[in-house]
Amino acid sequence: MAKYLAIRLLDAMPTIVLVLTLVFIAMRILPGDPALAALGDMALPEQLAMYRERMGLNDPLWLQYINFVKGVVTLDFGTSLITDVPVIQLLKNNITHTIELTVVAVLMGLVLGIPLGVLAATNRDRAPDSAMRVYALVGYAIPDFYLGAILLIVFSLNLGWFPINGVGEGFWDRMHHVFLPALTLALLKSAFLGRLTRTSLLEVMGRDYIRTARAKGARERRVVYRHGLRNAMLPLSTGIGLSILATLSGSVAVELVFNRPGIGRLLVTAIHERDYPIIQAGVVVFAALVVLVNLMVDLVYALVDPRVRVSS
Amino acid sequence: MAITRRTLLGTGTAAAATALYAPSLRAQDPDRIRAAFAAGGPRKVDPNWTTQGADNWATEQMFEQLVRPPNGQFGQRPEDFEPYLAESWSASDDARTWTFQLRQGVQFHKGYGEMTSDDVVASFERAMTEGTSVSIYQNIKSVDASGPYEVSISLTNPDPLFLGAIVFSNNVSVVSKKALEERGEDFQTDSIGTGPYQLDKFDIEKGIYLSRFADYWGEPAKIEKIDILYIADTTARTLALMSGDVDMIEGVRAPGWVPSIMAQNPDLLFDMTAPGSFNTLFFNLLREPLNNIKVRQAIAHGINKEEIVQALAPMSNISYTLNPPHYPTGFELEELPEELRYEHDPDKAKALLAEAGFPNGFSIRVNTSQREDYASQHLIIQEQLRAIGIDIDLNIMDHSAYHADNRKDLNTLPINSSSLPPIPLDVYNRYASSNAEVKNDGSGGTNYAHYGVVIPGVDDKLSAMLQATSFDDYVSIGREVELQIQRDLPMLGLPTLSYTVVRNPRLDIGYEVKGGYARWRLDKATFVD
Repeated sequence: MAKYLAIRLLDAMPTIVLVLTLVFIAMRILPGDPALAALGDMALPEQLAMYRERMGLNDPLWLQYINFVKGVVTLDFGTSLITDVPVIQLLKNNITHTIELTVVAVLMGLVLGIPLGVLAATNRDRAPDSAMRVYALVGYAIPDFYLGAILLIVFSLNLGWFPINGVGEGFWDRMHHVFLPALTLALLKSAFLGRLTRTSLLEVMGRDYIRTARAKGARERRVVYRHGLRNAMLPLSTGIGLSILATLSGSVAVELVFNRPGIGRLLVTAIHERDYPIIQAGVVVFAALVVLVNLMVDLVYALVDPRVRVSS
Repeated sequence: MAITRRTLLGTGTAAAATALYAPSLRAQDPDRIRAAFAAGGPRKVDPNWTTQGADNWATEQMFEQLVRPPNGQFGQRPEDFEPYLAESWSASDDARTWTFQLRQGVQFHKGYGEMTSDDVVASFERAMTEGTSVSIYQNIKSVDASGPYEVSISLTNPDPLFLGAIVFSNNVSVVSKKALEERGEDFQTDSIGTGPYQLDKFDIEKGIYLSRFADYWGEPAKIEKIDILYIADTTARTLALMSGDVDMIEGVRAPGWVPSIMAQNPDLLFDMTAPGSFNTLFFNLLREPLNNIKVRQAIAHGINKEEIVQALAPMSNISYTLNPPHYPTGFELEELPEELRYEHDPDKAKALLAEAGFPNGFSIRVNTSQREDYASQHLIIQEQLRAIGIDIDLNIMDHSAYHADNRKDLNTLPINSSSLPPIPLDVYNRYASSNAEVKNDGSGGTNYAHYGVVIPGVDDKLSAMLQATSFDDYVSIGREVELQIQRDLPMLGLPTLSYTVVRNPRLDIGYEVKGGYARWRLDKATFVD
């Protein structure tokens, strides 16, 4: 297993290096001037020149790239061009909020999506199945920022059940604050997971061992959940991995709408302000999370299906 | 008693429902103002280093200058300024030496002692050598403590507007010299001033938290706490106000925004600065056919400023020249010679285009920013000029990229929006001086027209303004500059756009906001029933 893990990690290294290089190049060819963004539209030429010099923006590109890669290796991403705060501190402050949102949203998505998928699969071509199809269609179509705004208006503004913004302090207060943003993402994820569960389960339910289980007199509930759903988990684990990644990227808009701190909001603000060190570090963190989630999915595969381990 | 699964689920659901119906968050703290502004988060709270308007809402409460204009106004004339940390002042006849007698007994926050002339000298000297606006203090030759409570400032050139241009500027807000030395770079987020509020907490994720300064030299602030919050998303900010979570928010300068908010809650109050930002349309004189005066005049006649004002009502006000009407060198319509009024006249615009050799108009590519105020104005102008045959191919860009491209001379008809104070020479130096000519390597300034380089400009008049020793002389030359710009037409003053704050009616700020920078003091604010 350790060997398998090591191989997968080594596989990920070229991806990380490529991402580092691409994000560095993208930042430099992106139109916009970090000095102007930091000092304002009316900054005088002398002020801009002083700022560029102070922030090392006049250094040759190769030197900036070497410094950037060195920084990534030593986990020193430099300081924000705007606030002078070390980027690693900003990442640490924000990543917990993003992970909290992602975990709660994915759990809520699973709790909502899998039962819906089972319900649709066990009622194929009947009303619950059609309802699930419509739900999935709406879930695919509705943008997360729009759904978030609607939930905010209904549950926070009109009903006053949830805080209008922020993250809260202490476990229950935090859960109270995260509920609505997580629900926004979860409703969309559940549409995807429900559809996937339905498809996987329908495929599995036609297999011989299901017929055998039924022939042995197993109760339908046991057939569906123990024999059916368990075997449908393999494709579903890929879906859950994709869902986690989509939730991470979807958190950008949700963090803005709910005014929650997080990597997404940090990144969007940094892009507006052309704050290179934050953008670079943020993208690296996102890339690392993608690699990590993919790795976890691979591990789950290996655990669930021993054939994967053997073949690798 | 056995707990069945059914019982457990039922109890859990009831508990969750009870929690959801718990009292909402609208309880309003009677001793705390919560204000939210359009930015991602605080950057700095040192007035010499702030670069973000929202942060200046905190510095405005924490720091003071030697003199200030009345609340809610810009000082237009030297006599408009009131004593603050200076009790009195005098200027030499040549307006080159200014002497200030400091108020005694002014305490710094958090036990940093009494303000003396050493603190004032240190505050000026650091603004002259470091910070965000070093270049605007180049006219200061020296700042000397001529006694523990007296400061003398010598200038290279005379400056009859010294109080408004320099003394009442954020960078020279008086800070504690001792705290500066002790805290070093940390001072940027943990600053010590003399204002009615002191810094409690600077939280880079959430905001800036202030509390009343008990030893303030003047009347203590009426409300104990102020939270300066950052909500970049317009919807989230608006909902925060509507829900009562915050007491005031920065408005959105887009057509229809104020009416739509008023329709949702007619009780809300709107504070607007006039002029706020003044908007200027530059004609890039290096680009054909904009180098033709008749084409520029045609465009000026083709633009219907009243229509722009109406579209952005009630935040917009008309402006006929580079400086808006109620600035010292601005003009009212009737004060201008008829040929320099450029009133909306599509027929005249078409005739001028024909005279210039464009009877069928022409097409031109123009960059604009996606920011609401820029995009709205450019889109309206695009529509208006279409009526006279000019087809603007509008390229809507990210705001940062738009300004970066403008600075590289990549635009033809850029708009610049800026909240500049009534210091005419500062405006001309930024927009009309040949020294500020935009350069294609990005090292130039904001004279996007190349005025004074492609065609003779107003440099000689600006030099004369710089040597004026009286306010009246200064204004008189400034008005000649305005007329010269109207004649040469390298740029056109567009309607102004107020900085707008929407306020819960329970919050009374204690005075009327008429003008001034995009920030105001809240120490007179009270909550009303």
